[in-house]
Amino acid sequence: MTGRPAKPQSNRGFALTRRAFAAGAVGLAAAASLPRARAQTLAPLKIGVLLPKTGVQAFFGQSCQRGADIAPALLAELGYAVKIELMNADTETSVDTARARAEKLINDGANVLIGPFDSGAATAIAQVAEQRGVPFVINIAAAPQITEQGYKFVFRNFPTSGMLITNGLTLMKDMFKATGTTPKTAVFMHVNDTFGQANRNAVEALFPRFDMPFRILDTISYDPAARDLSVEVAKAKATQAELLMVTTRINDAILLIREMVKQRWEPMGVMSPGSPGMYEEQFFTSLGKNSDFMVSNVPWFNPRSEVASLVTAAFKKQFPNDRMIGHIFNVGFTFEAVLTAADAYQRAKSTDGKALAEALRATKIAKRVMIGGPIAFDAKGQNVEIGAAALQNRNGEPKVVLPAEAAEAAPVFPMPGWTKRG
Amino acid sequence: MRIAGLPLLAGLDRRAVTLLALLLIGLLFVPAVAGPYLLSIMILVLYFAYVGQAWNVMMGMAGQLSLGHSLYVGLGAYVAAALFVHAGIGPWIGALAAMAVATLAGAVIGYLAFRFRVGGVYFALLTIAFAEFTRIGFDHMTWLGGSAGLFLPVAQRERNDLWSLRGDPVMFYYVILGMAVTALALCRHLARSRIGFYWRAIREDPVAAEALGIDVFRYKMLAAMASSAMTAPAGVFFAFYYNNLFPEQIFSMLRSIELILGPIIGGLGTLFGPVLGAFVLTILAEALQEALQTLGWQIPGIKQVFYGFCLLLVIVFLPNGIWPPLARRLGLDVR
Repeated sequence: MTGRPAKPQSNRGFALTRRAFAAGAVGLAAAASLPRARAQTLAPLKIGVLLPKTGVQAFFGQSCQRGADIAPALLAELGYAVKIELMNADTETSVDTARARAEKLINDGANVLIGPFDSGAATAIAQVAEQRGVPFVINIAAAPQITEQGYKFVFRNFPTSGMLITNGLTLMKDMFKATGTTPKTAVFMHVNDTFGQANRNAVEALFPRFDMPFRILDTISYDPAARDLSVEVAKAKATQAELLMVTTRINDAILLIREMVKQRWEPMGVMSPGSPGMYEEQFFTSLGKNSDFMVSNVPWFNPRSEVASLVTAAFKKQFPNDRMIGHIFNVGFTFEAVLTAADAYQRAKSTDGKALAEALRATKIAKRVMIGGPIAFDAKGQNVEIGAAALQNRNGEPKVVLPAEAAEAAPVFPMPGWTKRG
Repeated sequence: MRIAGLPLLAGLDRRAVTLLALLLIGLLFVPAVAGPYLLSIMILVLYFAYVGQAWNVMMGMAGQLSLGHSLYVGLGAYVAAALFVHAGIGPWIGALAAMAVATLAGAVIGYLAFRFRVGGVYFALLTIAFAEFTRIGFDHMTWLGGSAGLFLPVAQRERNDLWSLRGDPVMFYYVILGMAVTALALCRHLARSRIGFYWRAIREDPVAAEALGIDVFRYKMLAAMASSAMTAPAGVFFAFYYNNLFPEQIFSMLRSIELILGPIIGGLGTLFGPVLGAFVLTILAEALQEALQTLGWQIPGIKQVFYGFCLLLVIVFLPNGIWPPLARRLGLDVR
C-alpha cells in the first residue's frame, strides 16, 4: 500500500537563523560526500527467480521459492555486504513460458537468472541467457546436455544424472561395507518419466564400471500416472532379488511400498541410487512405520554445516507452519543458487553480465549448505564437487547415515521385516 | 470495390486489403521496434496463430472436433529433430518428412473414425487416445531420447543460418511470421475452393451433404490429412526454437487445449479468428500479468484463470467468437 505524502505541519515562512545556517552547512558537507559513499555502496543485485509455481511441478517450484525468499536476510547474516532484490516469475511448468519469462525478467533489469527445477525449461532459459549475456545459475536440473553446449553464461550447482547415479552407487557400496552385509542380486524398478529414464540410462551405463557386488536380475518400469503397481511388484518379487533398487517420485513410492507390504515381499532393503519420493513428508505420513529403513542416496543438506543450521533457522522463522524436512532439497539448492550469485556479485562489484560470469567462473564457496566440496564450476559451468548422502528413514524422518563425517545415525541393513517394526 | 488482380486477394474489398497490408507491414517492423521480450511474445502469438489456423481446417471448416492435435505437433517436432540430430538433415527437408508422417497419422485416425462413423465427442476421444499412446510410445523410444528428452545441439553463431534454423530470435520471428501468413493464405484458398464449400456443407449437415452427392468420407479424410500436415511444421519450429523435446510436454493434452483456445475465442471457422484469438489471449494475458506486477501482486496461475474467464465470456456473450462482430463493425467479410 502506498502512503500519501504527509501534509506540512506549518506553512510559516522560513527565517535564516545561525542554528539553521549551521545545520545547512553540515547538510551540504554531507551531501558533498554522497557521491563517494554511493560509489562504495553497490546497487542491489537483481536476481530473476524462474520457478514452476503452477502446473504439474507447482509443489516443487513453490518449495524452491522458499529457498530464494529466505536468502536476502540470510545473506546479511552470513556477512555478505551486497544487497539482492528478487524478481520472481512463474514458468508454469512450460518450456514456452520459461523462455518468455526469462526474456521478461532480463527486460525488467534482472542481472542474474536462477532456477528452474526442470531440464527442459533450463535448456530454453539457457539460450536466452546466452543470447542476452546474462548469467544463469541453475538450482535443479539434471540433464547433462545443458552444460555440454559450450555456453559461457550458464552455471549449474546441481549434479548431472550421471553424477547422481555415480554418487548413489558409491554410497551403496559404502553402506554394504559399513554394515558388513552385501546383497548378491537386485531388481531395479523405475518410474518411466524424464527423470526415471535418465536414471535408468545412467545405471545401465555406469553399473558395469562400478564393479558392484550384486547383479541386476530385471529392470521394471511403470507409468508415472500408475494407480496400481501390483503387477510390477509381483514381477519384481518373483525375481527373488535380495535388494530392491528404485527410482521413484512421491506417489509411486507410496504405492510401491504399500504393495510390497500387501504382497509380503521383504527384500534386504529398498534403496534409491538418487531419486525423490522416499524422503518426502507425504511418504512418512502415508506409510507410518512402513516408511522406515528405506534408503535414498541423494544430494542433501549437511546437518553438521553451520550455514545449513542458519538456513534451517531462517526457514523456521519465515515459514513457521512448514516442516523444513519436506523442503530441504529444494530450499538448499535454491538458496545456494542465490548465494552463488550474491558471492559473485560481491567479488565482481558490477552488475555487468560478463563481469558477473567471470566472477561466477572463479567461484569457490567452502561454507555451503549441501554435502560436497566447495561450490566451484569447471570450464563447462558445471559444479563437479556435489556430494550425496545416504538417507535412511528413521522414526518418520530421513537421517543422514553416510558419509560418516555428516552422519546423524548409524546405517541399518538389512532392514527389519514389515511385522517386526513395533 | 473488389480486388481481382491477385488470386490470393481475389474477392477482398479495398478496405480489407488495406487493413491486411497495414497489419503485415506492422508485423514486419516488429523486430525493429520491439525488445527481445516483446519479440518472444510475438513469436508465441504467431505460433499459436499458425497452429490455430491448422486446427481450424479440421474443426472450423470441416466440423470435426480434434482434441489431440498435439500429436501432430509432437510428430513434426520429433521427426525433424531426429533427422537433424541423427542424420544431419536440415529442418526444411525434415519438415517435409514431418508433414508426411503427420499426414499418415491423420489419415489413420481419420480412416478409423470416418470409416466406422465415429463422430462428435467420440471422435474427440479417439484423437486424445492417439496423442496419449503416442506419448507413452515415445517415452520408451531411447533412440529419440525416451522420456529423458531429445536435445538439439545449440551452437552460438555469429550469423543466422536459415537453412539449419540456427540463429537469433529475430530469424525465428520472421520464420514463424512467414508460416502464419502462408497458413492464412492457404486456408483462404481452401475456404474459397470447391473443397472448402464441401467441408462447410459437411460441417453444417453431413446427411444433407451426402444427399447432395458429396463424398463425405473422402472430404473428411482430406480435412484430417490437410490439418495434420499443416500442424507438423509448427512442431518443427518448436523443436528448433526451444531445442529440446520431451514426450510428456510436446504430446500433452494441455498443449492440445492450448492450441485450440485461439480459434475458439477468435472465431471458429473464420479465417482471421485464429489470428485474432492468438493475439487476444497471449497479449492480454501478458498485459494482465504486467499490470498485476506493477501493482505489486504476484498471482501464480492468473494466466490460466484469465484464459478460463475469456472462454466463459466468449461462450456467453460472443458464441461465434470475437472476430465476426468485430468484422461486421469494420465492414469486412466475416469469413
